[in-house]
Amino acid sequence: MANANGGAYSYSLTVFSPSGKLVQIEHALAAVAQGTTSLGIKASNGIVIATEKKASSILVDDSMLDKVAVVCPNIGIVYSGMGPDFRVLIGKARKSAQAYWKMYGEYPPTRVLTQELAAVMQQATQSGGVRPYGVSLLVAGWDITRGPTLHQVDPSGSFWAWKASAIGKNMVNAKTFLEKRYNDDISLEDAIHTALLTLKEGFEGQMTEKTIEIGIITVPSAGELEEEKPGERPKPTFRKLSEEEVRDYLAL
Amino acid sequence: MEVSFALTGKDYVIVAADTTAARSIVKMKTDQDKIKILSPHLLMAYSGEPGDTLQFAEYVERNIRLYQIRNLYALSPSAAASWIRRSLAESLRSRNSYAVNLLVGGFDTTTQEPHLYWIDYLGTMTEIPFGAHGYGSYFALSLLDRYHDPDASLEEGLATLKRCIDEVSKRLVVSPDRYKVKVVDKDGVREVEL
Amino acid sequence: MEYNGGSVVAMVGKDCVAIACDLRLGNQALGVSSNFPKIFPITDRIYLGMSGLATDLETLRERFRFRVNMYTIKEEREIEPQTFAHLVSSTLYEHRFGPYFIEPVIAGLSKTPSGDLKPFIAAADLIGCLNFAKDFVVSGTASAKIYGLAEALWEPDLEPEDLFETISQTLMNAVDRDAFSGWGCLVHVLTKDKVITRTLKSRMD
Repeated sequence: MANANGGAYSYSLTVFSPSGKLVQIEHALAAVAQGTTSLGIKASNGIVIATEKKASSILVDDSMLDKVAVVCPNIGIVYSGMGPDFRVLIGKARKSAQAYWKMYGEYPPTRVLTQELAAVMQQATQSGGVRPYGVSLLVAGWDITRGPTLHQVDPSGSFWAWKASAIGKNMVNAKTFLEKRYNDDISLEDAIHTALLTLKEGFEGQMTEKTIEIGIITVPSAGELEEEKPGERPKPTFRKLSEEEVRDYLAL
Repeated sequence: MEVSFALTGKDYVIVAADTTAARSIVKMKTDQDKIKILSPHLLMAYSGEPGDTLQFAEYVERNIRLYQIRNLYALSPSAAASWIRRSLAESLRSRNSYAVNLLVGGFDTTTQEPHLYWIDYLGTMTEIPFGAHGYGSYFALSLLDRYHDPDASLEEGLATLKRCIDEVSKRLVVSPDRYKVKVVDKDGVREVEL
Repeated sequence: MEYNGGSVVAMVGKDCVAIACDLRLGNQALGVSSNFPKIFPITDRIYLGMSGLATDLETLRERFRFRVNMYTIKEEREIEPQTFAHLVSSTLYEHRFGPYFIEPVIAGLSKTPSGDLKPFIAAADLIGCLNFAKDFVVSGTASAKIYGLAEALWEPDLEPEDLFETISQTLMNAVDRDAFSGWGCLVHVLTKDKVITRTLKSRMD
């Protein structure tokens, strides 16, 4: 009976402390707070998610490092915390998006996918023989009902929608910075610059296209939506910026 | 050659079934009750594969009773019929299914209306003003088409039932000679003599 | 498919759709019920019709009600006809090697990105192969006859009342030539602001 969620004698490692806290979750949040900073900003015509990536040695081939991940054509995720845990979650997210596509013939709305991921993360706080995931996520997506939305998911499995948020090492400073900089009618271009400026605060080392990763949601125009034919491959609304594009934004 | 009939009238449902228990060509018994009283206002006539019939009828009976004990009130006729239908439909696609045909008649005490459901072993269900199972249906349905009246008094309803039974006795090659007849209305369930 | 009998048809009109079925439930050649509708509302602007084995019809109706309710609660939105058609297809294909003996027909009005409503019809076979037709879709024991009449009577851009007449004449005359369908008809016409529902009397033989 050594399975992950069953067995009469496999108790969850996450148990309440007498004061009513789940310390395992707090430890997981501490693991997130050690991770590199990531942030997301919702603009009037899109969303940007960005992160700093750090190689542990100059000998690492950094083309392998990937912190912003595409889940499906309309959803992308960035994380702070433990890389391996993120890869497990992204695997589950992609599988869930494809399962949704098989059932409904379209990709899931951002909130549905976020909920699915949050449920996976919550399960890890209540099952026997497992530990919570050591990551916080920023999920950026676009769907027809809610338009562009940005969600944050924490190791406890709780999630919120944000206009802008930051996670990881410098999250407190970054959030204060974003609060000062943010306004409701910021354009995507401006949001990308704000994202880079925010990351610059407390950035250790050089900000280059190798140490910055950016993903963007672009809102399709009414004309583009009208042109889309049912059964055809939808035009992606989420994409990662290439190194050249990141370099151009850094140069400005 | 099992036969069962049921018909609704003004605020009541009559359910009738033959009382013969036969194995092959031999009559083993002529006083078998094939109508279960499921709850104070619910009747179920069952026919089909011997063995399956009683087994399934008792399964239904006990589950309907369990619901009443747990919730302190009985299922409405429509809810009970839906549950029974689902049991049969699930059974149909299992390894060994029940071959049981049912007529479920009840009086809904919430709306003060009689209801009658025709259910076959596949899980086909339809609400009807009158219906029958077995070879009797080929004779009775046309009679009921002609003589059924949803506003008929109990006496008139029983007279219509009598016509059906007489027709079956007259025309069916191997016809049963005894029937049990039960009625359900606002006062509950009771057996009547024809 | 001939065990219980029954037929369904759906047609596209100008800013409206119609879906209709017969009301017979049979046990082979014996008629059991003359009030057995085969069309059910899924949302305010999606109607699902099913023909085939009556037990599976009820089972699938319960299944779709469950799945659509779960969808509505989870996603906090009503399901679109397109999406529902895929849901129907997936549900049927889940039972590829032990199918439900049902051929569904879907009629609805789907929302375009700009916000207006567009007619939508679809049909599938018993394992969920979808057919998105632009004019009409049929299913059931009288399907071949319905095709013939629909081919002759249907024309593009019919107004709701004309569409009602077309679908009614198509179905009624088709089921009169089919021993397993008939005993009355049920017609729904979905327009932008209302649903017209009418029960038709027909030959009872």
